[in-house]
Amino acid sequence: MSDISLKLNVAEASILRDLVGQMRALFRESDATDPVRKRLFPDAYKDEEDAAAYRDMTGGDLSAAKLEALDRVSGSLGDKGSAKIKLGDEDAEAWIRALTDMRLAIGTRLEVTEPMMDFEPDQSDPSFAALQTLHWLGWLQERILEQMVP
Amino acid sequence: MKQPTVAPDVERDSELDEVTEADRPWLVIVWNDPINLMTYVTYVFQKLFGYSFEKAHKLMLDVHYKGKAVVSSGPREKAEMDCFRLHGYGLWATLSKSE
Repeated sequence: MSDISLKLNVAEASILRDLVGQMRALFRESDATDPVRKRLFPDAYKDEEDAAAYRDMTGGDLSAAKLEALDRVSGSLGDKGSAKIKLGDEDAEAWIRALTDMRLAIGTRLEVTEPMMDFEPDQSDPSFAALQTLHWLGWLQERILEQMVP
Repeated sequence: MKQPTVAPDVERDSELDEVTEADRPWLVIVWNDPINLMTYVTYVFQKLFGYSFEKAHKLMLDVHYKGKAVVSSGPREKAEMDCFRLHGYGLWATLSKSE
């Protein structure tokens, strides 16, 4: 697969840099009751003991994988300004995973529902900006995805 | 609570039960969520399990419209690995023993 090209203007690149920072902070926290944390690190078992054992076994690796994906995203974004990016296979995988985690974090925080996601956000909605970011991240993810071969 | 002394024939029965129990595969279930995009979920099923687009797409639709779908199964260790990889892609996956 040839490299995937991505052009982000200053505003877009800075939104992503900011989100990378927020996600890193989120992974450093370990508030097990946070709904976002629960969504990003879901219980694998209904049984609480099995779920805890699974969490002990895999939680560190999962967290490391998510952080590594963020590192790749921030690496391709650079420190400031707009970004002209070329993504190789592994970068592209990291990007779609990191974009997913960002979308899950924002969407879970906003408690979005399927009907909510089907419509363009309303300007009078107090969550308008966050919802717009959520949709934009999805749009960006699909631009990358359509150039990827599974 | 622990059973009191178990008669030999009962013990043999329970061993048989354990064998059957161990033979039943573990199911990896993916649940619907309102955030992940359909295109993305389809991609993940193709990528992680090597499914054709048609199979992955059908599983994604099952997740979306029925609320969940069994996406893979096998011995516990394999099922746990599949679940871990799905969590790595942000899909809401759980494990349960097949009935």
